[in-house]
Amino acid sequence: MTRYLVNWPALLLPLVALGTVGLLGVPVPQILVILAVLLALAAPAEGAKIVHFALFAYGAYGLFKLHSLQIYESQGVHYGLVTASRAVIAIPGGYQLTSQTSGFEPMLAEAVGFIFLAVCVLGVTGAPGGRAVRRAVAQLRGGDGQPKTVPPLLLFPVIFLWEELFSEHLWFAGTAAPGVLAAAIFAVGAALIVRLPQVAAVIAVVGTIILGLYGVSMGVHWLTTGGNPYGGAVGAPPFGAVLVNGGSSELLAGLQGLTLLGFGGFLVPRLLTWGTDAALAARAQALTQRVTRLTESRSDAIEVAVAELRRIERDLHDGAQARLVAVGMSLRAAEELMRANPEAARALVAEARETSSRALDDLRGLVRGIYPPVLADRGLADAVRALALDAPMTVDTDITLQGEPPMPVAAAVYFAIAEALTNAVRHAGADTVQIGIGYAGGMLRATIADDGAGGADASRGTGLAGVEHRLATFDGILAVSSPPGGPTIIAIEVPCALSGHEPARQAAAPPQTIA
Amino acid sequence: MRVVIGEDLFLLRDGLVRLLDAHGFEVVAAVGSAPELLRALTELKPDVGIVDVRLPPTFTDDGLRVAIQARRACPGLPLLVLSQYVEQLYARELLADQAGGVGYLLKDRVFSDAAFADAVRDVAAGGTVLDPEVVSRLMTKRARSGPLAALTPRERDVLSLMAQGRSNAAIAAKLFITEKAVSKHAAGIFANLGLAPSDDDNRRVLAVLAYLNS
Repeated sequence: MTRYLVNWPALLLPLVALGTVGLLGVPVPQILVILAVLLALAAPAEGAKIVHFALFAYGAYGLFKLHSLQIYESQGVHYGLVTASRAVIAIPGGYQLTSQTSGFEPMLAEAVGFIFLAVCVLGVTGAPGGRAVRRAVAQLRGGDGQPKTVPPLLLFPVIFLWEELFSEHLWFAGTAAPGVLAAAIFAVGAALIVRLPQVAAVIAVVGTIILGLYGVSMGVHWLTTGGNPYGGAVGAPPFGAVLVNGGSSELLAGLQGLTLLGFGGFLVPRLLTWGTDAALAARAQALTQRVTRLTESRSDAIEVAVAELRRIERDLHDGAQARLVAVGMSLRAAEELMRANPEAARALVAEARETSSRALDDLRGLVRGIYPPVLADRGLADAVRALALDAPMTVDTDITLQGEPPMPVAAAVYFAIAEALTNAVRHAGADTVQIGIGYAGGMLRATIADDGAGGADASRGTGLAGVEHRLATFDGILAVSSPPGGPTIIAIEVPCALSGHEPARQAAAPPQTIA
Repeated sequence: MRVVIGEDLFLLRDGLVRLLDAHGFEVVAAVGSAPELLRALTELKPDVGIVDVRLPPTFTDDGLRVAIQARRACPGLPLLVLSQYVEQLYARELLADQAGGVGYLLKDRVFSDAAFADAVRDVAAGGTVLDPEVVSRLMTKRARSGPLAALTPRERDVLSLMAQGRSNAAIAAKLFITEKAVSKHAAGIFANLGLAPSDDDNRRVLAVLAYLNS
């Protein structure tokens, strides 16, 4: 069922097929209808992709057929819901067409309606060109962070309406040249829409207003002449969805003109603010993207922080806290034994001393994993040099920093480098590592290159992925080049400002900690 | 022996004074901030100073800076630097002037007061005493390639104990070998590292460390 709900445009195919019954010289025209129904039911997705082509073609065919009828055909035509016909008078020596027509106006309206329906379907489905239509609608309505403006795509229907007025000379002239001209005008319009959207928008609005005035003038004519019940010339030019040949058609043309005029007038103010609108649109889009990215990295940051707190709690619980409990127990036992067995008591106290030493070791390790003291006291440069000294293999450092990055950024970069070094040791078996840190153009850059076996991957293994997330919180990026066989190069870039002062000295003295 | 103490935590400062008193040292000053410490060291010129790395006003590495500054003013002034955490980087900075009489220990070592007092005396005598933590990291550093690879495991053990400031006798006791064996290993170390042999404890350690740190 969802298949049909999602691809409901496919269900318009049988409608198109129905309309062709009676038009084409198909022996059993109902076959088309059956095929269309089968296609709509069996493959609605594919049907939805082609239905707008079918609607366009059907509308265009209707226009063509209308013209043919107007000029020379004598039999009736069944088009869609309309039957149009001409009367023919036989005269000596040939035939003469009467000026009596019927069903032509509705037929034009229906043909234009099918073309309009094709555009609507295009806008709704994901077919190519649908995106352009949707963007045009968004530009008209404003929405999705898109301020209201004039869609340049409007130029296409305006060109269509204008060419329709001159269809006699352009589309149905009988020779190829005018048709080529008509196509060329469309092509120029397309180029304008893409290259000079503002020019396209201006032409579209001006064209709409002139057309509107033209229609309104016909309506005024109808009013001033009190309505003309008798038909006008045969083969009158179509105007939008109205065939103007006197009578109430002029009223309809007037109403259509009024609509066009109103629409054009509505769009004029937006033309005047075009420049700012375009800038606003671009800015709105950029902001929307940024908000999305920030929301993602914020939730990442929260996850990372929570995970870290949990790790600290666990390490404290299993490590230092456990040892301190053991110390307390040893001391308590020593208290009991002090008088009765002083030697045993001494041994217990020595044990307590040893355990408290190990508790200090645990705490040292924990602190190092949270925020290494050397990073807090000396800053990123010296902290990385200390890392380099502690690593088991040779690590050369080339660090040039004129100031100190903000503490959270420094911590993120420090741990990134630490993780990269760990990987170099553990996975790559590297002998030499080169670390470079620099700052240029508002970006802090760090590279870690090792001559190990390579094969590192940010998507495998959580170490580098966690680092990447942590860096993303500051709009930082991490890039890994690690072909199997090495060498591995990890590059980090974080935008930040360097302070001119030395680290920690800029902060107020922290409260005294317990030794 | 006259001692100056620079430690801002009252409990620990008091404990150090007591410990040193008990082991026959004379505490001529016990101060709690970097400026006071610098003044005490340069004016009182003690036989040895005990310095905490982290001191007011900034609580970062003020004590370390005072130590380096004091030794610039009084070259070879024996100083034992204590810290909550040890970094090879800081050890390097302390050893840079190669003047001897430097100690760099974790505060935990204070728990074993006899050993601590020995360390203070070693430093006062011009020796170099590095915390085993620092030494072990130094030793793992070049285990793969470089000069350490040329040493036998036994020689590495002797070297690491030497770097911790132990005398030949102490090393012999620790490794359960004779002093003569220790001397032989020491000679082997110097030969393998391509250094001139020396009997002066301090010069030995300094030479080795300078070499390893290069």
